[in-house]
Amino acid sequence: MASIFTKIITLFRGAAHEAGSAVVDANAMRILDQEVRDAQTALLRARDDLAKIMAQRKIAADKLADKQAKQNEYGNYIREALSRDNRALAQEVAVKLAQIEADVATDGKVIAEYDASISKLQASSRQAETVISRLKQQIDTVKATESVQRAQAALAAQHAGTGAKLGTALDSLERIKLRQTERAAQLQVAEELAAATGEDTDLHRRLAQAGIVPGEASADSILARFEAQQPKALTHDPAPQLGQSVGAASKTS
Amino acid sequence: MNNPWTTESLFEALRSDPSADLKAADLRLVGGVDPTLNIVLHEHGDLTLHLAVSGEQIFVSTPLCRGSQVKDRNAFNDACLRLNPLNPLSNLGLQSAGGEDIYIVFGELSSRSPLPAVIEEIHVLADNTLQAAEAFADHLK
Repeated sequence: MASIFTKIITLFRGAAHEAGSAVVDANAMRILDQEVRDAQTALLRARDDLAKIMAQRKIAADKLADKQAKQNEYGNYIREALSRDNRALAQEVAVKLAQIEADVATDGKVIAEYDASISKLQASSRQAETVISRLKQQIDTVKATESVQRAQAALAAQHAGTGAKLGTALDSLERIKLRQTERAAQLQVAEELAAATGEDTDLHRRLAQAGIVPGEASADSILARFEAQQPKALTHDPAPQLGQSVGAASKTS
Repeated sequence: MNNPWTTESLFEALRSDPSADLKAADLRLVGGVDPTLNIVLHEHGDLTLHLAVSGEQIFVSTPLCRGSQVKDRNAFNDACLRLNPLNPLSNLGLQSAGGEDIYIVFGELSSRSPLPAVIEEIHVLADNTLQAAEAFADHLK
């Protein structure tokens, strides 16, 4: 894996002086593709070798089984010959058995070597499979990065005509600060407005209390006004006079 | 969960899922063969995230700043490398787009991730990016 990174980093170094990242991406993909192909070839070779060795091991194991059968058979002959006191014959069979036992030992070693090779090849197959899946992941990353980069480049190009550039987090921060300032300003205006309205209301209430402007509970004064307009009405009540003077005061103010 | 997302299927899911929690965002699918999902987050100052799915991976990226906005590139690179291990779920990187260097903040996740994980990634990436931009204010013009 390290060698791939080295190759890609070398590419970046080269591209710093050249056209740009498109070259790097294309080459990075080519390198990754090549690595995948190499790893797949290695995997196929490992599997081929594995199949061959497993076949050879089977042949050797079959031969060993034959020899072990013979070993048992000759052992039985020797026991039989000895039980019949035919020591000469037993001796003759024992010579043959010695050869067979030597062969069995040798074949056993050969099979153990095959087994070692098999587990090595299985390990390297597994490794090759891991390498391939990692490389494929890397290819996915490069591809995804590439489409995102294309999208960003397209956005940059879109804004190129308008003089604006691809928006970054800095622009967003600016926007957030601006919005916060705007919101704060709006809030302040609203507060001031509310306070001003509140002041007006308070002033109005106090004016009404003082009888300078008509208050809410002016039913009495309205009635009084109507009564005052009645020519024949008696004006012994001081309230209508006050009501009239209020009307005059508010008109002149 | 079993089937990996594609950019298109993720776009549809994000757009139609009522729990997607991306109401204050514009989702737009751009591009043809290998489309990209552009996500404009209004609550993050219209920060634009770019999302693409490829095979086993989802890649989400957003521009932090342009190389030309950095006062001292060496000092900034140093600061970025130091911040990177502290940045949960997001990474800082450097890319070229439209002929200029762009510092990006990006995250990757499995294309078999459940939708809530993708949404969390989007939110975390946006938060991290704005925080990084704020933290780097001294380095930027």
